[in-house]
Amino acid sequence: MKMAGKTGDGRYQKRKISAKQKLWILLILTLLLLLAAIFAESICPYDPNMQNYDMALKPPDAAHPFGTDRYGRDMLSRVIIGARTSIFSALLLVLIIAVIGTTVGVLCGYAGGAVDMVLMRVSDVCLAFPGLVFALAIAAVLNGGVGNAILALAAISWPKYARLARSQTLAVKKAAYISAARLAGDSPFQIIVRHILPNIRGQILVTAMLDVGTMMMEMAALSFLGLGAKPPTAEWGSMMSEGRSMFQTYPWVVLTPGIGIFVTVVLFNLLGDAVRDCMDPATRKERGIL
Amino acid sequence: MIKRWMILLMTAVLLTVSGCGSRSPETGTDAVSEHADGQKTFVFGDTTFNAENGEPDINPHNENGGWACIRYGVGETLFRFNDAMEIKPWLAESYENVDERTWVIRLRDGVTFTSGRKMDAAAVKECLDALVSTHVRAAGDLHIEEITAEGQTLTIRTEIPVPALLHYLADPYGCICDVQAGVSEEGIVQGTGPYRAVSLTTDTGMELEKNENYWNGKPKIDHITIRTISDGDTLTMALQSGEIDAAYGLPYVSYPLFETGDYTFTGCATSRVFFGAMNYESEITSDPAVRKAIAMGIDKEGFVETLLGGNGYPAVGVYPDTFSFGGDRVTAETYDPEGAAQVLEEAGWTDTDGDGVREKDGRPLVLRWLTYPSRQEQPLLAEFAQATLGAIGFQVEINNTADHNRIRADRSAWDIYVSAMVTAPTGDPEYFFTYHCLDDSPQNDGRYHNDHLEQLADEMSRTFDEGRREQLAVEMQQTILNDNAYVFCSHLQMNMVAKATVTGLTAHPCDYYEITVDLDINET
Repeated sequence: MKMAGKTGDGRYQKRKISAKQKLWILLILTLLLLLAAIFAESICPYDPNMQNYDMALKPPDAAHPFGTDRYGRDMLSRVIIGARTSIFSALLLVLIIAVIGTTVGVLCGYAGGAVDMVLMRVSDVCLAFPGLVFALAIAAVLNGGVGNAILALAAISWPKYARLARSQTLAVKKAAYISAARLAGDSPFQIIVRHILPNIRGQILVTAMLDVGTMMMEMAALSFLGLGAKPPTAEWGSMMSEGRSMFQTYPWVVLTPGIGIFVTVVLFNLLGDAVRDCMDPATRKERGIL
Repeated sequence: MIKRWMILLMTAVLLTVSGCGSRSPETGTDAVSEHADGQKTFVFGDTTFNAENGEPDINPHNENGGWACIRYGVGETLFRFNDAMEIKPWLAESYENVDERTWVIRLRDGVTFTSGRKMDAAAVKECLDALVSTHVRAAGDLHIEEITAEGQTLTIRTEIPVPALLHYLADPYGCICDVQAGVSEEGIVQGTGPYRAVSLTTDTGMELEKNENYWNGKPKIDHITIRTISDGDTLTMALQSGEIDAAYGLPYVSYPLFETGDYTFTGCATSRVFFGAMNYESEITSDPAVRKAIAMGIDKEGFVETLLGGNGYPAVGVYPDTFSFGGDRVTAETYDPEGAAQVLEEAGWTDTDGDGVREKDGRPLVLRWLTYPSRQEQPLLAEFAQATLGAIGFQVEINNTADHNRIRADRSAWDIYVSAMVTAPTGDPEYFFTYHCLDDSPQNDGRYHNDHLEQLADEMSRTFDEGRREQLAVEMQQTILNDNAYVFCSHLQMNMVAKATVTGLTAHPCDYYEITVDLDINET
């Protein structure tokens, strides 16, 4: 980054294009991934849950590019259909925590006083637990299943957004245009919706984008430990868990869902970075996008 | 600035790496020094020696502790089984069945406990008295009224005729230990076996030393470590790395790793069966048509061949065909998905809304399958049956949990409970029925009842004639199979894998005898 700053204007020009291009390329790739997940059923070469014992544990070949698992199910089909569970549960999770966290944060930041005190102490309590351990406990109490795993992770992840939204709100609240809006007779609700939210949404969006990968990993971790997806639902984490005893003998059973997680998480993280580069004024200036 | 940080980081990494590296040579020298003084050591990894399995220690009077006691060569029983599962004297020398309720057992002379005490009739009486006063199952099996001891002669008088008494005495709970020496805080008892426990930690393992005064030969290993490794993958890697010399309970998918010539396999069929008990209080499995369809909808051969890699035997009834009253002496429903679908159809279970799941009176055909993960076959069987039963219109919901013992007590929470049981731990057929299928059975989880079965069981409890007992066993199995009250899927092939240098470690059909006086290790 700093290297770019030291070189001449030509480099700046190049950077400018590549940053935007990067965003577009990543957006297209992500879109492709999402489309693949949405239309998983029509893309799958085989029925992902169909067991075929004559074909059990076959190494990758032309008919089964990712091989088959011990039930003779096609791994490629399972990885594709697993994308749906893994990606959409992560997206849903991020959506839930971003909405809840932002609402709480803005409310605290704007209202202050007792509301702020109480809600922030609640979020402090949530932050005081080691994340995954707390999620494990919640998931264990609620019993497994994708829905409950989302709930468990949501319960520990929303305070981050609350903190962020609160501090942003506090900063924006002192701005002159808020006072002006208030003098003009806007209700608190109008002020929040029209003036505060539009000004803090960039930060929230960037955080959310960067969180998709993390959340996918945490969902996979819960599933790996047997508290996420239940059989026969294909989910990358639980697929890896099921196959872990075959890591040495039939490695494709573990590696293929692992590659799924790796590619998706990297893609969402790069996308998050690219979005930040384009939205965050500080980096925009530095990289010459403005 | 960045450079300085990089240097610091690199140094830290190097330090960590070298720290890790220096540790392994250290353990290496440890192993060598033990060999230097001519001591032979042996490390055995086992997935089952843990509290979840009822084996918190080796006290035979505590839950299933007898299994650990007998398997690791600490305890021995009055009678034992030979390879054909026939009963033979062990600590006993001979016996006489004076009348239906009186047994006179002559004990072997010259046997001492590891505590130093001589094993005489008085010591055995103390041990058996303690057993029936604390171990509910043993008390229920043995029905001991009175034991008298005189020198090496033990006379057992039972409350009712117990035809299978000698078999029961060969159960692991019948390990004879020195009650006067007591049970240590760790749960160590003093037995008569080739090895003596010196320390024990529940769920971690046990240290054994050879019993110099063993009555039946000279133990060859000086020091044995039993390591509880409940996770199959960890066990695999421990055997690969040489951390353990032999393993019990390796996942079948790991076997190819050891088929190299550097390891030996020993295995045999056991009476342990993977079976499902139907819940008669459930609205789903109380329907005979549903039970029949389940029995017809599980492809046992396919399960054993593919998922267990041939390491098992498809089951028909309660016992494998190594038993004279087992195998295909009985008949059960065979795999027939079309037939099963028809049975359901005729009973009014039809798929009206086209979602692939049948309904009857608005109730979907959801089968709640309760099982537990500590036996590797069970989750596989659950997912296997989920697919085959799914094809005939069931929706199988699997609850695979270590918490199964609590859940199965709540009969509103499951429809079929799939577990693994040794059906003939004593080589005698009575045990399975008294334990699982009768009104007063301690583990009749599904509240199954059949009048005819109760009558047959009553007759068996009074029958001494071996031939008649066999007939009854066959008839009783057929009764529960006709009701489809249980579905028997496969019998376990018990396997142990050891380094090729290990000798004298042989799998036994009753799954009791693992570490014996014959065990040896030949370091090259």
